Amino acid sequence: MKMFTSLEIPASRNKTWRGFFIILVLLALPLVDVLAGVLVAPSVVILSDKNRTGRLNLQNPSNTPKEVGISFSFGIPESDSLGNVNIHLQDSAVTDPRSALGWIKAFPRKLIIPANGSQIVRFVANPPKNLTDGEYWARIVVESQEGATSIPMATKGDKITTKLNMIMRTAVMIKYRTGDLVAALKLNDAQAKKKDSLINVLVDLSNEGNVSYIGLLKCRLVDADGKEISKNKIQLAVYHDLKRSMTLPLKEGNYKKPYKVEVTITNKGRKDIPVDEMVFGNDISYTMTLNN
Amino acid sequence: MFNQSKVNFSRVLITALALALFMIPSAVMSQDVANGQATATVQTPLTVTATAALAFGTVFQGVAKSVAVNDAAAGVFTITGQGGTGISVYLQLPDYMSTATGDDRMVIAFSSTDCSIDTTGVVDPTGTIVGWTGINPYSLPATVTVSGGGASSAIFLGGSVNPSVDQAAGAYTADIILTVAYNGS
Repeated sequence: MKMFTSLEIPASRNKTWRGFFIILVLLALPLVDVLAGVLVAPSVVILSDKNRTGRLNLQNPSNTPKEVGISFSFGIPESDSLGNVNIHLQDSAVTDPRSALGWIKAFPRKLIIPANGSQIVRFVANPPKNLTDGEYWARIVVESQEGATSIPMATKGDKITTKLNMIMRTAVMIKYRTGDLVAALKLNDAQAKKKDSLINVLVDLSNEGNVSYIGLLKCRLVDADGKEISKNKIQLAVYHDLKRSMTLPLKEGNYKKPYKVEVTITNKGRKDIPVDEMVFGNDISYTMTLNN
Repeated sequence: MFNQSKVNFSRVLITALALALFMIPSAVMSQDVANGQATATVQTPLTVTATAALAFGTVFQGVAKSVAVNDAAAGVFTITGQGGTGISVYLQLPDYMSTATGDDRMVIAFSSTDCSIDTTGVVDPTGTIVGWTGINPYSLPATVTVSGGGASSAIFLGGSVNPSVDQAAGAYTADIILTVAYNGS
């Protein structure tokens, strides 16, 4: 009996496997094309008075060239009274004094990324004079379209044919920083309410610095002895005022009442943003006791 | 013979000294590198893809045609990025489709149940959706997250077209735009 290792495949089996892989690759090629979008990185572009240029890497993993358009909007995370967060993009009539819309330019603004290729888009800030210290914001909107933009032809003279162009926009934050930067967050209010087997936590926050407070919101549900029942964390970005909600599962177990919710807010520990791009500020810790 | 060997030896010596001079700062630099700390942040790119276009195919004058959100012909957008991260998603939907010349229009409509969102990697509209089913495409939920483990979050879209009885024959087109942004950075 002969044992086969990965380096020792008999010629006949080798041919079979080779044929199988070729068929697999050929089958996968159109799939790659259909599924591929444009990759956009990084998730935040930082410019400053010391370095007024930045870059965004766009990658086309498909086997066909892709036409991409670059534009700018203004949009920061905003919340409703329940702590649901949304970003409303505005192209004009922006009244926020921290808007960088209009004075950051992209080069190029229209580009074709070759198949399986990548392209760098560069940004240059030309801020107005006497800008007060702090951070200014805009969104880079990367627009790409899947497939050809051609309109389908009706097959017969009396027929109506339809085609919907599926257009994708990725909005990436771009920030311009100048002067002394201060990250400071204030906790206005925190509430925890039990609903069925969940604890709903709502925190009301205000940005008291001159940069966006980028961090983490962590919550722990503990019993009277400090034994952990559940925990959760979410990424946090506070530009002005923001309410954020979070749910904690109330697990069954031998836990002693009253339960407590420990809230921690910190801008340390974000792994998606390079440390040298972070502006570190205060941490917040707060504990609430659940009434029921 | 002896002189030639001496010259060769001198050349070798000079070359060796020159190399040594180059290597000394190199060794010092190597030490610096060895003492330094290499850090890198792995950033997951955000990718939005239109996996399938909402397809009504051929329609007929005076006959409305609908595609359900769980139909194989539903439109599908997929989103990949950093798992578990909150994203804001927004659909811009057309009110009508038009011919290339813009002379003729056909009404397209989206009902308050024409959208579904999956956050567990299901990208087939006919599959079992885990997330939101039958929601309003004009008001998408604010708590959508990117699926973990490299899987895609998917947005499914149905709709209907209403050609009039005297709708002009031809090819009609319109744009559906999905905008995605991380809301935690």
